[in-house]
Amino acid sequence: MSFDLNQTEDQRQIHDACRAMLAEHYPLSRLRGPATAESLAPLVAFGAFAFALPEAHGGAGFTLLDEALLHVQLGRHLISPAALAAPIAARIALDNGQLEQAVKITEGQTSVSAMVKTKNGILLLGNGAAVLGIIRQHDTMQLIDISQVNRDRKAAMAQGQPIFAIASLPAPKSNNVAKAQTSQTAQILVSAQLLGVAEGARDLAVEYAKIREQFGRPIGSFQAIKHHCANMALGVEKLSAQLDMAAIAVGKQSEDAAFQTAALARIAPNVALENARICIQIHGGIGFSAEADAHLFLKQAHVLRQLIGQTDFLALPAPMAPTREDT
Amino acid sequence: MNLDIEIDDNSFRLRARAWLRANLGVTSSDNIRHGGQTARKTATQWLAKCHAAGWSGVAWPREFGGQGLSPARLIIWYEEYTRARAPSALDCTFVGLNHAGPTLIACGSDTQKSFHLPRILSGKSIWCQGFSEPGSGSDLASLKTTGKVEDDMLVVNGQKIWSTCADLADYQELLIRTEPGSKRHRGLSWVICDMTLPGITVRPIENMAGVSHFAEVFYDDVRIPLSNVVGALHDGWNVAMTTLGFERKTAAIALQLELSVTVEDLITSAQAQPGTALSEQLADLRAEAAALRAMTYRAVLRDGGTPFDGSLIRLTFAELAQRIHRTAIDTLGAEALLDGPMVHDYLESYSETIAGGTAEIQRNIIAERILGLPREPRA
Repeated sequence: MSFDLNQTEDQRQIHDACRAMLAEHYPLSRLRGPATAESLAPLVAFGAFAFALPEAHGGAGFTLLDEALLHVQLGRHLISPAALAAPIAARIALDNGQLEQAVKITEGQTSVSAMVKTKNGILLLGNGAAVLGIIRQHDTMQLIDISQVNRDRKAAMAQGQPIFAIASLPAPKSNNVAKAQTSQTAQILVSAQLLGVAEGARDLAVEYAKIREQFGRPIGSFQAIKHHCANMALGVEKLSAQLDMAAIAVGKQSEDAAFQTAALARIAPNVALENARICIQIHGGIGFSAEADAHLFLKQAHVLRQLIGQTDFLALPAPMAPTREDT
Repeated sequence: MNLDIEIDDNSFRLRARAWLRANLGVTSSDNIRHGGQTARKTATQWLAKCHAAGWSGVAWPREFGGQGLSPARLIIWYEEYTRARAPSALDCTFVGLNHAGPTLIACGSDTQKSFHLPRILSGKSIWCQGFSEPGSGSDLASLKTTGKVEDDMLVVNGQKIWSTCADLADYQELLIRTEPGSKRHRGLSWVICDMTLPGITVRPIENMAGVSHFAEVFYDDVRIPLSNVVGALHDGWNVAMTTLGFERKTAAIALQLELSVTVEDLITSAQAQPGTALSEQLADLRAEAAALRAMTYRAVLRDGGTPFDGSLIRLTFAELAQRIHRTAIDTLGAEALLDGPMVHDYLESYSETIAGGTAEIQRNIIAERILGLPREPRA
């Protein structure tokens, strides 16, 4: 087991640069109109999709924890799931020795999006023009060529993000399956975005509680509101600590990687959904309106939740088997 | 902060494991759990054994007789300690090791330190806390117990409550109002009180789990030497606040790991079928316990953070502990009506969201000190 939790100056700078890029190109106001496919060009230019890939494969060589922290920022900006699909698709391509394919994905020449299974078929999330799709089948991820697949635009819960129905997928090829580390990485990055959603909802609610006045004082001075805000902070702390733990474990392929990732995947959707719920509640009437941003966090949490996948957590051994017989 | 458990640390882990295996012997946590003189004897004998072998005061600086373990080694020690099922850290030595001792190290005089610290480390003296009063619970700064300065003595009158192990303790960390007419945080002093002094009456209080490990303490003209004041006279609030963070951070490692063991034991004993509501609940508890562990390790290993971060961990621990013990007795069915270790721990867990700052006060602290929301109006 090994930790490296303190950021270097380089890491701080890259995350500051990311924040600035997101503020410029992906303000939340972009989601208020009708849904359009999100341009990922600024993210490609930033190198976001090759962030933690080895330098030999055209990547920037940052750690998985660095990449997770980048996706926390993406999560705060409620970015299209296509931005999650790209770094995972590139990894699946590399897992199968397709270096050229991986580079095309990370450089935005081949478009990818995320798919989820439903009772009746498949949903394609984010980019309707995608030629590749990633999908979780049980515990593993697959990368599938969907260039010849028909897709129908559907009315979506999250109005800001287009969604398409696909009747069936082509038969999977043997060289499209992710290695275990990549499937875990997908759960790490989705969880990181869910943490970003939880953080964004917390900040929006706390700032509102400081300025909104009722009964002659800011509502944030009332204990009922304070405790809601404290609960959001507790959720964020819990989720971000487990994200660090899991990202380090998966990045270093430690023995407890599967355990830490499964724990993370169980916690992340709950924290994001709960923070989004509280954020709407603290905003009161305006929180229920489409004019405030609160509902956008809730809907993004629902989108991401579908992408995370669950494992049979109880079947995994505890990382520190606490039995007296061991000692 | 960088923790790499290299060869050296592995050897430390193995050394800790070997010592625990060889020395744990007949010590039983149950004795400690149920209080009384037997509990004191069990706890102090175990601590004396640890002390003789250099395993007492693991988080204390070396110059004060502690082991001065790095954060990484502290984690390893408690992992091995818990894995070996050594006695709970929350026994009658807890206040001395995790609160009184660190306070004396930070604020005590040389005389106070040289007398008390070795006794705490070796289990020769047991400490209790004397902060809360019947009228001063969450609002500690409203406390009324007075210490009147008469020549070189303080004459103490008043009452303290919820003082854990007061019936077993040799000394008490006593927070009293020494400046007549002073208000709130001003005019308080942190005093070492010898529990054998004339005028002290201890009345144990039975808790809802049926044991009496806390007590009321009455002070009737108790004469304490002024030289027992720790830090400056009338500066007791600052002295008390100095070490609050220490307790929350270090003690958290041991308590959190004990909770992880409880969850794993529960998963093993429950034998829940996959896909059932119980297995889902257990999986959630396991994930929450993992996250609490991550929070604790990160707080210990990472530089910086605010002194209030301990509230996040303390509160998460408290509420998770209650959920876990509740699930545990649910698995017992009607047998939950009988006394037993799981039922006992379940009932005890109700103190978690009250003792050491209620859940409501912790949430206020998080909202005001971490999130910057406006302060509560105060009288």
